Amino acid sequence: MTTDPKLDQLKGHLGEVDDLRKAATLLFWDQRVMMPPGGAQARAEALATVGRMTHERFVADDIGQLLDHLRDFEQSADPDSDDASLVRVARRDFEKASRVPPSLTGEMRRASALALSAWGPAKENADYKALLPHLEENLELRHRYVECFEPGDETYDVLLDDYEPGMKTAEVREIFDGLKQELLPLVREIGESGDVDDSFLRGAFDQEAQREFAHEVVRAFGFTDEEWRLDTTAHPFMTSPGHGDIRLTTNYRPDDLTSIFASMHEFGHGVYEWGVAPELQRTPLGSGVSLGVHESQSRTWENLVGRSRAFWRHFYPKLQARFPQLGPVEEEAFFRAVNRVHPSLIRIDADEITYNMHIILRFELEQELIENRLSLTDLPEAWNARMDEYLGVEVPNDRQGVLQDMHWAGGSLGYFPTYSLGNVISVQVWERMKQDVTDVDAQIEQGEFGELREWFREHLYVLGRKYTPQETIEKVTGSKIDSGPYVRYLREKLAPQPA
Amino acid sequence: MTAVAPETSHPAIGRLRAALAEVADLVHAESVLDWDSRVSMPHAGAASRAEASATVGRLAHERFVSDEIGHLLEELGGVEPELDPDSDDAALIRVTRREWKRDRRVPGELAGEMRRANGLAVAAWDEAKAASDFAAFAPHLERQLELKQRYIDCFDTADAPYDILLQDYEEGMTTARVAEVFAELKAGLVPLIERLRDEAVDDDFLAGPFPVAGQKAASARILDTFGFSREGWRLDETPHPFASNPGLGDVRLTTHYVADDLNSLFSTMHEFGHGVYEWGVASELARTPLGTGTSSAVHESQSRTWENLVGRSDGFWRWFYPQLREFFPEALRSVGREAFVRGINRVRPSLIRIDADEVTYGLHIILRFELEQELLAGRLAVAAVPESWNARVSDYLGVDVPDDAHGVLQDMHWGIGLFGYFPTYQLGNVISVQIWERAVAELGDVEEQFAQGEFGVLREWLREHVYRHGRKFPPGELVRRITGSDLDAAPYLRYLREKFGSE
Repeated sequence: MTTDPKLDQLKGHLGEVDDLRKAATLLFWDQRVMMPPGGAQARAEALATVGRMTHERFVADDIGQLLDHLRDFEQSADPDSDDASLVRVARRDFEKASRVPPSLTGEMRRASALALSAWGPAKENADYKALLPHLEENLELRHRYVECFEPGDETYDVLLDDYEPGMKTAEVREIFDGLKQELLPLVREIGESGDVDDSFLRGAFDQEAQREFAHEVVRAFGFTDEEWRLDTTAHPFMTSPGHGDIRLTTNYRPDDLTSIFASMHEFGHGVYEWGVAPELQRTPLGSGVSLGVHESQSRTWENLVGRSRAFWRHFYPKLQARFPQLGPVEEEAFFRAVNRVHPSLIRIDADEITYNMHIILRFELEQELIENRLSLTDLPEAWNARMDEYLGVEVPNDRQGVLQDMHWAGGSLGYFPTYSLGNVISVQVWERMKQDVTDVDAQIEQGEFGELREWFREHLYVLGRKYTPQETIEKVTGSKIDSGPYVRYLREKLAPQPA
Repeated sequence: MTAVAPETSHPAIGRLRAALAEVADLVHAESVLDWDSRVSMPHAGAASRAEASATVGRLAHERFVSDEIGHLLEELGGVEPELDPDSDDAALIRVTRREWKRDRRVPGELAGEMRRANGLAVAAWDEAKAASDFAAFAPHLERQLELKQRYIDCFDTADAPYDILLQDYEEGMTTARVAEVFAELKAGLVPLIERLRDEAVDDDFLAGPFPVAGQKAASARILDTFGFSREGWRLDETPHPFASNPGLGDVRLTTHYVADDLNSLFSTMHEFGHGVYEWGVASELARTPLGTGTSSAVHESQSRTWENLVGRSDGFWRWFYPQLREFFPEALRSVGREAFVRGINRVRPSLIRIDADEVTYGLHIILRFELEQELLAGRLAVAAVPESWNARVSDYLGVDVPDDAHGVLQDMHWGIGLFGYFPTYQLGNVISVQIWERAVAELGDVEEQFAQGEFGVLREWLREHVYRHGRKFPPGELVRRITGSDLDAAPYLRYLREKFGSE
């Protein structure tokens, strides 16, 4: 094992920080899944205390001194070794975390909590004004947050870096401009080629049957009771409060089948955490590398697997068996319906193509806000105008417009772009996988997902946070982040076929 | 989001409360980590969870025994005499000082070591019990005893070693006093059991079958009527039922359903008793060391109250038996209410403590109390425990222990380092009846209320007199305040004789 006692000490301290993080993760999961509502106030306090202690424990002097001592080690050790990566990543995290005074972190956390509780009713009542003061407070705090760091090329860089370390705004802009250029005409082409009937996707779908089907699918993917849970919440999420402990949630709506895709999506997040090398556990390296790469995996299992022909060849008869109303619907018609491209108002319900326009719009507005080129008062108007411009849809009210997502209320600025980056990355990795697993479609048709999952585990998941996101993508795919494969995939799958 | 602190006269009290609130938040986290590991955690998460629990537990310990809290206590030493001794502040300082002095003597390393040993030993116990293999558990028991010895060594040698352990659960209690009370109980119980052991009571119908769905519905009906609400409570299933209260407004019970008996109903009512005590602690005491039940025995007095004094009473079944029969029409078709109540109150010496009737239960505790003292004093070797156990079961209860799973391995307590804990179960029985007599004196015929499905009057009385005080008063003082007397076995013996002796 390790020989340097300082390194062992560092691991010990970082292990404790990780333990506290795991505890906070569990408190959060419990709050959403298990806790009786009456426990909310006490839980908020416990979460605030554990969160603050995690931060304090991490930015403590002893960790700083150990990192100083370990500079030589870091220089001399094999940069690919777990230990060198540990010191490198811990130093980067430490330097970032130490720049932000705990008082500001506390203020940000408090403001987000208040804004989030105001967001629910504001959305419900389509009342943007009710949320406005909270958004102003959040934005003001983000400005102060940005000031804690060396100025980047662009103000937005600092925010983006929290979610996609090392990524620059300019790089994202280039990728998104490319997407926009390709996707806007594609959406138009599809619109002109006539609509797809998906009316049978709405109606009464027994929730217990949905639950059973969701479990059947994720079990085929690799879910086991020994290591996983799948619970029900209003807003689906994935979390891992410990090694060997992966928790997904989904939402069984009574009148559609979105729970199936939500379950596969969360499985993708879960299997990434599940596959991180055990040696990296209880260190800062023991989780997914960035939100973009994480999202690439949720989108892989939701879309590249879960909306593929091969997947439904295997699962459609099983779905029909659970939902007799689908009896008369042909497999091909069902496949086309779950892949219907249609500009719409709500991001999370959007198809694979228009989804990206929802993201690009948010990415642009966020930059304008943080650079004070757009005032929060004018935000709804700007939102609505851009929805019309990009997707040709009219926003009837703010509930279905600017208030639909909780991110800005939660103070997450710079988060949205990672969703589309995830889409882009997902196809890059998928194409690389197909070079090795040449008959992947045939396997999926047989309901075989093991080889696919193992490929992803061996090539991507095991790496955890050892490398930067960009290095990770290059190691896996051999190239930098590139929207080419993604656009090709969308065209091949969804562009109207010449008759 | 700071707690709403009651107005305080001295700024140091405000600071003390803030520091203690942080500790309480960590204990909250620890409690959720523990609950989750028993209710919802996937099996493979155990190792990682053990690490997280150990760290959070150690931090809670370190924060509590910090110099900061020591200085505040010192500063408040001057303020204390001016405080109303019955005030929350005075109690807060007193309880904090007592625990700070105690916990400060225990090195963090030992506290962590004990926690880790518990995790390992309880897993070993689980397997050893399943295989009825005491030898597999013996090294863990040795280790636990060694750690207990080190723990005891942290304290003044003047105290009897067993007192030190006992007082972790029961402030102010001494081994000598427990021995006295238990001797009195033994003298009363042994002849009572002799008289009852061969009495013919039919309870064959208690073998069911009782479909689990019906048991769940029956448990829910009982709990809802007792005062459970979805707003602030949960009920889940675990192999070993327990109650937990991570934070204000969040009470969690667990129970265990087996189709061939009705034990789940009594276990649910038992855990409700623990839960309702925590539920009833005044909200001003939340996030302080006062915000929980005052001692293990007083806690147990409440679980036994709701399980036995309420749940095995004639009045309760006058209300519930017709409903129970609707849940289980087949098993109970030909069983009348009186026969049913006799069946669930049948006295019969048996092997397993948690299944024991109200009369023989005490002897299960007394034998554990004796063995624990002998083990800690080094008068009994670990290897000789099963033999000694079996001999004593035969001596006190007249039954033969067929294997260690039904003997020395039946309880997990020693596996999780609980020595000095068992006696509080029986003290709880004793206290339950002392408090009950007082309640009945004030409330009149409570069984008549039960027969009407009315439990709120009793619950509110208990809340007012017992629950709301949390740990403001030490157990002995609380019992004195409520009942006007010290710990006293006489009411309990009287209750047992009246209920069982005159049939």
